[in-house]
Amino acid sequence: MKVTIKSWTGVATWRWIANDDNCGICRMPFDSCCPDCKLPGDDCPLVWGACSHCFHIHCIVKWLHSQPQQQCPMCRQDWKFNNK
Amino acid sequence: MSQKSDELKIYWNKIIYAFPILNDNLSSECTDTEYEEIAHIITGLSIQVKIRDLILVHIEKYLRHNVAPSFWSKFTKIEEEIKGFQLFKSAVNDLYESVNSFSILLRRLTLLNNTCCDNRPIFGERDVIQGFKQLVRATLLSQLPVTFHVIINHFYKLSFNVFDNMKAYEDSFMDEDACSGCWNEYSECNCAYIVKVFYDTNRKLVELQLLERLAGQVLTNFIQQRIEAHIHKLCTGTFDLSYIALLEKWLDVTVMTWLTRIYCAGSSEPPPDDENVQNAIAKFKQKLRYYLYHSYTKLRIDQLFIIIIEYPDSRPAISDIKVCLNKTDLQKSLCKNLQNALETRLLHPGVNTPDILTAYISTIRALRHLDPSGVILETVTKPVRSYLRNREDTVRSVVSSLTEEGTGSELAEELAKFAADNDEEGEKEEAWDEWMPDPVDADPRNTASDRKGSDIISMLVNIYGSKELFVNEYRTLLADRLLAQGVINTDKEIRYLELLKLRFGESQLHFCEVMLKDISDSKRINALISQDKNFEEMNNKFASNAMILSAQFWPPFKDESLELPDEIKEHLADYTKAYETLKGNRTLSWKPHLGNVNIEIEIGQKKLDLTVSPFNATLIMHFQTKPEWSLDELHEMMKVPVNVLRRKITYWQSLGLISEKSSDYYVLVDGSEACKSNVPSNQVQEMICEDEEAESVMASAHDQREGELQVFWSYIVGMLTNLDSLPLERIHQMLKMFASQAPGTECSLNELRQFLDTKVRTHQLFLQGGMYKLAKS
Repeated sequence: MKVTIKSWTGVATWRWIANDDNCGICRMPFDSCCPDCKLPGDDCPLVWGACSHCFHIHCIVKWLHSQPQQQCPMCRQDWKFNNK
Repeated sequence: MSQKSDELKIYWNKIIYAFPILNDNLSSECTDTEYEEIAHIITGLSIQVKIRDLILVHIEKYLRHNVAPSFWSKFTKIEEEIKGFQLFKSAVNDLYESVNSFSILLRRLTLLNNTCCDNRPIFGERDVIQGFKQLVRATLLSQLPVTFHVIINHFYKLSFNVFDNMKAYEDSFMDEDACSGCWNEYSECNCAYIVKVFYDTNRKLVELQLLERLAGQVLTNFIQQRIEAHIHKLCTGTFDLSYIALLEKWLDVTVMTWLTRIYCAGSSEPPPDDENVQNAIAKFKQKLRYYLYHSYTKLRIDQLFIIIIEYPDSRPAISDIKVCLNKTDLQKSLCKNLQNALETRLLHPGVNTPDILTAYISTIRALRHLDPSGVILETVTKPVRSYLRNREDTVRSVVSSLTEEGTGSELAEELAKFAADNDEEGEKEEAWDEWMPDPVDADPRNTASDRKGSDIISMLVNIYGSKELFVNEYRTLLADRLLAQGVINTDKEIRYLELLKLRFGESQLHFCEVMLKDISDSKRINALISQDKNFEEMNNKFASNAMILSAQFWPPFKDESLELPDEIKEHLADYTKAYETLKGNRTLSWKPHLGNVNIEIEIGQKKLDLTVSPFNATLIMHFQTKPEWSLDELHEMMKVPVNVLRRKITYWQSLGLISEKSSDYYVLVDGSEACKSNVPSNQVQEMICEDEEAESVMASAHDQREGELQVFWSYIVGMLTNLDSLPLERIHQMLKMFASQAPGTECSLNELRQFLDTKVRTHQLFLQGGMYKLAKS
C-alpha cells in the first residue's frame, strides 16, 4: 500500500511573540484587539518600546498623547519605539 | 228584607244561568238575548267587577281541577312510540276541545269586562282571551309531571321521521318494502295520516302558545343533532375553505323552512299577520344560529392542532374561528384544548426538536392571525416554551434553521423579511384610531405592544430569555462549518451575518465577523506563503494550506491530542517559519487534530482518493510503514487515548483497509483482498465520512460551562477537607455564600449536581448516602 498526500490543510491559531499575555494599558489580550478596534492582528498591531514592554499600538499612542512626558506606562522610562 | 233577599236570589240564579261556571259547569243554555237582560241586571246592581272576579276565580278552579289533570293523565311512561304518538295527539285534542268549550263563556266575560271600567289587567293581560290563555298555560305548567317528555319525545320522533322521509322520498327511490317513515308496509303506510296529525297538533299547540313550552326542548335537541351532523359531514378534514357563509345559508334556507313548516302547519312561509308565530320563529332562529356557531367552533377547536400544522393552507379555517370566537364564549376552551393537544402530540421525547420548532412557528403564525392581540398565543404556547427550554438541542436547531438554505427553512425567510420590514416603522403612528383595548384575560404585566411587537424570531430567542446563548450557539455552528468545509463560501456566510446583525445587534456578532475575516485572510496568507522561495521546495511534495484563526474570537476547541507523523510536523514547522517571516513577531500554534487532508491510497490495482481528517491520515500513514499494529503501540505513537483510537479506527475498517486480527491488534488488509471487500463498501464510506464531519470540533456548551464551574472546585475541595463530608444542598449554600462574588459564576443546584457527579466519575469524589466526600489520595 502506498499513501500519497495530495494536500494538507491544517488549522492553527496565531499569537504575538511577546513576554506578556495582556496589554498593560487596555488589559485586553494581545491576541485580541484594543477597545477601539474591531479586528485583531494586522489592523491592531503591537509595538515594542526600548524598555522591552509592548502594547497595542493604538493604546500606547493614545497614552503618549495624553501625557506631558513620553514615558512607558509600565516602567516610567522614556518611551522609544523599538524598531527591531 | 225577605223580599229583597228573594229578589237577590232570583238575580243570582239568573247570573248562574248565564255563567254556569259559577257552579263548575260549562254548558250553558242561556241565549244571547237572555244574556243581555242578565247583563242589565248586573250593571243595574253595579256588581260587574265582583262578578267578573268571581268568574275568574271559578275558571281557574275549574281548570285546575278538571282540565289540567285530565290533560296530564295521558302523559304516562310508555315504551311504544306509536302509542305515545296517539296519547299525545288525543291529549292535545282534548285540551284543545275543552279550552274551546270556554268560548261562549269567554265571549260573555269579555262583554262583562267591557262594562267594568276599572281597566284592571286580567292575569297580566288587557284582553280577556289573552288572559285566559295565560291562565291555561300557567295552570297546566304548574302541574307538569316529571315524565311529561316521554310521550312528547315519542310523538316528535315519529313525526320527524315521517316528515324527513317525505323530503327524502322525493329525492331517492326506496328499495325497501316498508316505508321508512312509519315502519309499516307501503300498502298500510300511515305517513299521510301522521303528517296530518302532526300538523294539526302543532297548529293547536301554537294556538295555545304551548308548542314552545312542551316541544321546544325536543325540537331544539333534534335540530341541534341535525346541525351537528351537517357540520361534521361538511367540514371535517378540509380547512382550505371558509364555511361560515355556507352554513348560514344552510340554516336560513333548509332549517328555517323546515321549522316554519312545523309552526305553520305545512306552509313554508309564516303567516304575515300572525306575530306570535313570527316571533317564535325569530327567537328560535337566534338560538339555532348561536348553536350553529357553537358547534362549528367546537369542531374546529377539536381539529385546531391539525389546522395549525397546515397553517398557511388552513387560513380560511382560522379566519372562521376568528369570526366564531367573537360570537361564542369558547376562547377558554380553545386555549385549554389546544394546549392539551400540543402537550400530547408534540411535547414528548418521540418528537424531534426541529419538528417541535416547525409546529411552534406555525402555531405562532396561526394564532397571530386568529388573535392579533397575542393573548391566546401567550397562554397556549407557555408549555411549549418551557419544554423547549429543557431540550438541549433547541438553540442549535433554531440557529441551524436560521441559516439553512433553500425554501424549506421558514426562519431564514423570516430573517430576510425582518430586514426588509425594518424601514416601515413609521406606519404604526397612523393607526391610532384602530386602537383596541387589551382583552380582559390578558396578563396585565405585559403590554400590548410587547405581545404584538415580537416577531417569530424574537419569540424563539425569548424561549431562553437571552440573545447571548443564541449568538454563542451560532458562533459554534459557524466555526464548525468554516472548519469542515473544504471550499468555503464566505459570501453566503457574510450575507447571513449581515442579516443576523440587523436582528441581534452589531456588538453581539462581532466575534463572528472576525472569524469570517480569519478565513479570508488565511486564503491570502496561503497564497503569499506558497510563493515563498524557501517554502516552495517543501510544497513540491504536497500542497499545504492553513486556516489561521484568532483564538480569542473563536469558541474554545475540544482538547484533543494527536502526534502527527514527523514528515508532516516538519512541513508544518516550515509553514510556521514562512508565516513568521511574513508577519513579524507573530507565530502559529497548530491544532493537529483539526483540518482535512486529501490523500490518495494505492492498494493493489486500486486507487482511492479520499478527504479525511488528520487523525485518519496519520493512522493510515503508520500502517504504511508497518502493516501490523497493536492498539498500545498506536497509542504510543499517536498519543491518542486508546478508546478514541478504537472508535476512530472503524473508519478504515469500514473501508476494508484494516481489520482487527485479534482483540486490539490491527492488520493492514492485503491488496487483493482489499479490492474485493472494497467494492460494496462505497456506501458505507460516504456514510462514515459524513458521520465524521457531523461531529463538532468545538467544545460543547456543556463542556464550556463545566470549565466555568472549575472555579468552584478549589472551594469545594477546601470545604470537604475541613468538614469531611457534605450533602449537595450544603455545598450549594456555602458556595453561594463564599464564592458567588466572582462574575458569571452563578450555578444552579442541578448544575452543581452534574458537576459533582463528573468528579465522582473521575474518582475525585465519593458519593456515599447522599454525602460527598473527598477521595483519599
